[in-house]
Amino acid sequence: MRQIEVIVMPDGQCRVETKGFAGAICEAASRFLERVLGKCTGRTRTSEFYHTDARQETRTRLDLK
Amino acid sequence: MSDVSGVRLPVSQHAFLRMKGVLGLSHTVTIETQIRDLVALRAACRRAGLEQPQQETVQLFSGQATGYCVRLPQWRYPVVCDPQNGTIHFDNYGGRWGEQRQLDRLMQAYATEKTLFEAHKQGYAATEQTLSDGRIKLTIHVGEEL
Repeated sequence: MRQIEVIVMPDGQCRVETKGFAGAICEAASRFLERVLGKCTGRTRTSEFYHTDARQETRTRLDLK
Repeated sequence: MSDVSGVRLPVSQHAFLRMKGVLGLSHTVTIETQIRDLVALRAACRRAGLEQPQQETVQLFSGQATGYCVRLPQWRYPVVCDPQNGTIHFDNYGGRWGEQRQLDRLMQAYATEKTLFEAHKQGYAATEQTLSDGRIKLTIHVGEEL
């Protein structure tokens, strides 16, 4: 299950996290919130962000043949 | 093939871990909330038990300000919100003319309502949970991977 988790701090600051996504698609998934909530003050990426979806990779390899 | 937890399955290790819920967090963004949506501001005032904001020009200690004014409990001057540029004007004299936590509560209510509005606009279901330390956790269900 893919989820976006938003933690709203008692002072109104937000932390947006994406869960269950692979690769850079996670940033696109949460962009609709980042655009409208306010000013981005920090961004961190985990190793999951850099993990290419295995099926995408297979498809790309097949396309190359 | 994967040998995680001693199980061998015809899926990549990555996909298997994701199914097990082991993988998940891929990036984190921190955001300083800005009030830019009047509809969400109105909903935030309802949530916080405040009067609805009125557009007016008011006198603050430091001068006049025009925008949508929110009256916070025990505050000497209103908080003036300008949704056009996301700025707010207020004079609380470091807490002497109004407790900061009242403004924080408004900002938290706004961020919560704005997030829920945007999630619903995208057609996503969202759940809300108030945590014991006062934070609000919103979970937006984007759905299964295609």
